[in-house]
Amino acid sequence: MVLTRFGIALISLLAVSVIIFWCVEMLPGDAAERILGRNATPEALALLREKLHLDLSAGQRYLRWLTAFLSGDMGTSLVAERPVADYISSRIANTALLSGLALLLYIPVSITLGVLTAIHRGKPVDHAISVVVLVLMCLPEFVIGILLISVFAIKLAWLPPLALIDQARSFGELLELIALPTITIVAAMSAYAVRMMRESLIEVLESSYVLMARLKGLPKRRVLLFHALPNALGPAINITALNVAWMIGGVVVVESVFEFPGIGRLMVDSISHKDVPVILAISMVMTGAYIATNLVADILVILLNPKLR
Amino acid sequence: MAVSDSAAPSQKAGTVRRGAGLSASGWVGAAIILTYVFVALTGAWWAPFGASQILTGEPFAGASLQHPFGTDNLGRDVFSRVVLGTRPVLAMTFSATVLAVLAGGLIGVIFGYLRNWVDEVGMRVVDILISIPTLVLALLIISAVGNSLWLVVVTVAFLFTPRVARVARAATLGVVTNDYIAAALARGESTLSICLREILPNISGVMLVEFAIRSAFAIIFIGSLGFLGFGAPPPTPEWGLMINEARANAVNSLWPVLAPAGAMAVLVIGINLFADSLSRLIDRQGSAAVAK
Amino acid sequence: MASSWPVAQIRDLTVDYHGERGWTRAVDGVSLEIGNGEALGLAGESGSGKTTVAYTLLGERRGASRVGGQVLFRGRDILAMPAGELLSVRGRSIGFVPQNPMASLTPSMKVGGQVAEMLRFHAVETPQGVGARVVELLDSVGIPNPVAAARRYPHELSGGQQQRVAIAMALACRPDLVILDEPTTGLDVTTQKRILELLAALKRETAVSMLYVSHDLASLAQICERVAVMQKGRLVEVAHTSSLFADPRQEYTRDLIAAVPRLDRPPAGRIEAPPPRHAPNLLEIDRLAVSYARRPLFGLGKPPADADSVKGVSFAVQRGKTFALIGESGSGKSSIARAVAGLTRPRAGAIRFNGEALPALARQRSTLLRRKIQIIFQNPDSSLNPRKTVRSILARPLSMFSRLDAVAREARVIELLQAVRLDPAYADRRPHQLSGGERQRVAIARALAAEPELIICDEILSALDVSVQASVLQLLQTLQRERGLTYLFISHDLAVVRWFAQDIGVLRQGAFCELGDTETTLSAPKSPYTIQLLEAVPRIDAGPPPETQPA
Repeated sequence: MVLTRFGIALISLLAVSVIIFWCVEMLPGDAAERILGRNATPEALALLREKLHLDLSAGQRYLRWLTAFLSGDMGTSLVAERPVADYISSRIANTALLSGLALLLYIPVSITLGVLTAIHRGKPVDHAISVVVLVLMCLPEFVIGILLISVFAIKLAWLPPLALIDQARSFGELLELIALPTITIVAAMSAYAVRMMRESLIEVLESSYVLMARLKGLPKRRVLLFHALPNALGPAINITALNVAWMIGGVVVVESVFEFPGIGRLMVDSISHKDVPVILAISMVMTGAYIATNLVADILVILLNPKLR
Repeated sequence: MAVSDSAAPSQKAGTVRRGAGLSASGWVGAAIILTYVFVALTGAWWAPFGASQILTGEPFAGASLQHPFGTDNLGRDVFSRVVLGTRPVLAMTFSATVLAVLAGGLIGVIFGYLRNWVDEVGMRVVDILISIPTLVLALLIISAVGNSLWLVVVTVAFLFTPRVARVARAATLGVVTNDYIAAALARGESTLSICLREILPNISGVMLVEFAIRSAFAIIFIGSLGFLGFGAPPPTPEWGLMINEARANAVNSLWPVLAPAGAMAVLVIGINLFADSLSRLIDRQGSAAVAK
Repeated sequence: MASSWPVAQIRDLTVDYHGERGWTRAVDGVSLEIGNGEALGLAGESGSGKTTVAYTLLGERRGASRVGGQVLFRGRDILAMPAGELLSVRGRSIGFVPQNPMASLTPSMKVGGQVAEMLRFHAVETPQGVGARVVELLDSVGIPNPVAAARRYPHELSGGQQQRVAIAMALACRPDLVILDEPTTGLDVTTQKRILELLAALKRETAVSMLYVSHDLASLAQICERVAVMQKGRLVEVAHTSSLFADPRQEYTRDLIAAVPRLDRPPAGRIEAPPPRHAPNLLEIDRLAVSYARRPLFGLGKPPADADSVKGVSFAVQRGKTFALIGESGSGKSSIARAVAGLTRPRAGAIRFNGEALPALARQRSTLLRRKIQIIFQNPDSSLNPRKTVRSILARPLSMFSRLDAVAREARVIELLQAVRLDPAYADRRPHQLSGGERQRVAIARALAAEPELIICDEILSALDVSVQASVLQLLQTLQRERGLTYLFISHDLAVVRWFAQDIGVLRQGAFCELGDTETTLSAPKSPYTIQLLEAVPRIDAGPPPETQPA
């Protein structure tokens, strides 16, 4: 079961690489023109095209790129003129730090709020949290980010407006810089998860087996933690996988808002500069992360549900 | 809802169904949506200034009677730009969502009905398309084909289609296992007739909700593209683009940022309220009819 | 533990639900008493309020908005009990056995753990003793290999074993009272019989009091000393089991008892079957094999023969008669129905109709053949499109199979509704506005619309209340006599079939273990399985305990 999932994930990644390569192929102009600029002589262009193997068919170039990519060679950035691998690795680390931190906060926040709203369904606590959640869900992440900046950075001046974490000199400073983007991501992500957690827990709380557990005379806490929660987590994990997937896209936006030096912003910059090797590498990294998350979620769901084991 | 094989007390089901309609919050949502549609249709006639009319007042003016939402860095009237932006935003959202729901719905119903190797292969392709982060793929496509208004629409529709297809297929699967489909098959109805007469009426509710939810996503998504500079080209008064242009000057005046952001948020909230209420309404009606 | 109080007393209980149309009274002034060691049966059809009464004994309101009266357990009012005290009564002093064990056992927890937590939280066992007691309990309810079973998850057990686990749980703390909510509904007849035997034995050995809620009078007869009958929230009659069945005082009780299908005598109002003369075969099934194995990707290759749900079955149905296919779940009876209706492609074998070979799928058959063979499904909730009116449901086969103009079609719709004894005004209703029995009548009308020769009835009674079952059965007999219909009647209920079908085939695991005319087959069954099935049919007149009843 798990192995099949793994195989499917690998095939998906391969298929995605074809799609991404094909999209990039469609970028206007070819690589030689992009490198040499508008004033290039036809001779120089021809020479470079041969050097870059642009004379080969798209399929052959894809295979060359793929084999190189698999052996760790992601090519050279046209803009930075450095190997893509070391160019993006520090950016990946930054993004990983941001996403990791966000995820760490996201899990307890959404489970706690989801459980709170579900067990106090229809009461003021539920209404209050649900309204906040609905509003957060409806705000695009860049709006949340800008609002946070205008309140905490501009009006109150508690935190810096931009998250230039490469300039941090101490851990405390790093935390200050990374706080706002992290909160933005957590807020946007938790909104969906809280709703999902609430709904799935309510459904489980109404199930016959929870009724049965209550009729057995078990204390509330026992019923909630042992009979209800384990069975409500499955859908919540699925939504978390979707959320992480969203985060991979959302991180592009959030990083742009805070000028955070991660791969999201690099992606946007590279697209404006048509820096093909970097675009390819980042797309693959992001998709890989996405597929990996889904895989982990699938496996977790299987482990949680004895029927699927 | 737990599955119970005993007949549910029928009077209970009856009471719920009577007088069923949208909840209060659903009506609020509907009113918000209708207001936006009205503004989009008529805004051009009553907006006080043009969308790209500069120096209608001092740059970064605060809210006043003349400029309810102040002015931006070029002295353009933010209120007029938000009002005039309603039309492109709604037009893009609506077209993208309609395209996605039509294409995705068709694919989903056919796959769900066939349930053979076409479905198996098709759903694998759909899974693969879904496994590319939406925004990354959107940025790639738009940078490859250019960013006119309509290309953004087609791209968004293309990205949403596999997701809609999944929902439509799941809904269809919930319907095709019913014996009225078997009865139709035994009667010798054609595939088309079964899809149109038996399946479609039973999944139309789910698809309507999906349409509403997707529109909300589309607004946010198109706004994000605009914000990143990959959406509608300037000087279109598209809200995401406006926020992007204004945020560099957020220190001077927050109005040009907050006004379009607020406009977007209220619309999305309205759609969500409506969709929520609608899906609850459909859940209540014929619970056997509509698959989740 | 002797106590001067009876185990439970219900005094003038009223329960109201608040719906969108205002208040509905679900239980109306019910008073009952359960004595020490007594089993009280609570009977009634769906919507009678019997389950609601049972739940109030556990202090569970199930969304009820208003509860009035008193529910006393050993003299203490459960309805007025503080939450903490209620928890110590639930499970500890009052056990509960649910209707649907699969849905009622927590899927993520091993069954042993679910039994053990009862012992632990009610502190009836030392922590060291819990494990051994769990095994002992599982063993006492007849679960084979209890040590291994304790380590299983609920879905790894069969339906009968799940119910046994639930019973073990209910008895774990040696309660004074056990409430059983339709404990055998949804189980196969043979499993049902074994569970009933277990309950009777446990009752004898532990002297526990019981409140046994069921729509099935026959199972109540085997367990309970007294039976209370409810109708529309009111108590109709309470009496000792033997006198209730021998001499019911209320008309409703009489009707209810009369509606229970019995092996030993024909149902009231039965229409005498046509004389048993030999008629030509309408339907012939020849070595039919159906497989439900999923075909490999791309539909390549044939499924293997050992995955067959029907293994080479042959039989014939004579024109104008009823052939009954009997079997438990998984016996392949529905697969045969679907193959005849052209909904499943058989793996092998032939089906002949009127002597002509039938093409496998409905679409390959001629319009005439499709018209002549109709099918009615088990659950009318699922077989009627909820988005359509009764009129359009009935008009569709009319427009497909006959060339009627709109006026004539409308007249036919009215005629059909009258034929199934429904008010013609129902034409404008949608299925959810009808009761279960009415819906099944619409399904029958839809089959009649095609003017068929053969109607396949696939378990069409099992979703209906007994009194409704009896009237639908009567309708089918009338229609058969009026129109010379032939029925292929699929059922799990021998008592129903005994007086309705002329020929019978008993299916077990996809093959016949008995085939012949109903009279001789059931009076002198040859196969041990048929004997077992016959014995499993619950009998009303046989008093408890079941062991003493003649086989």
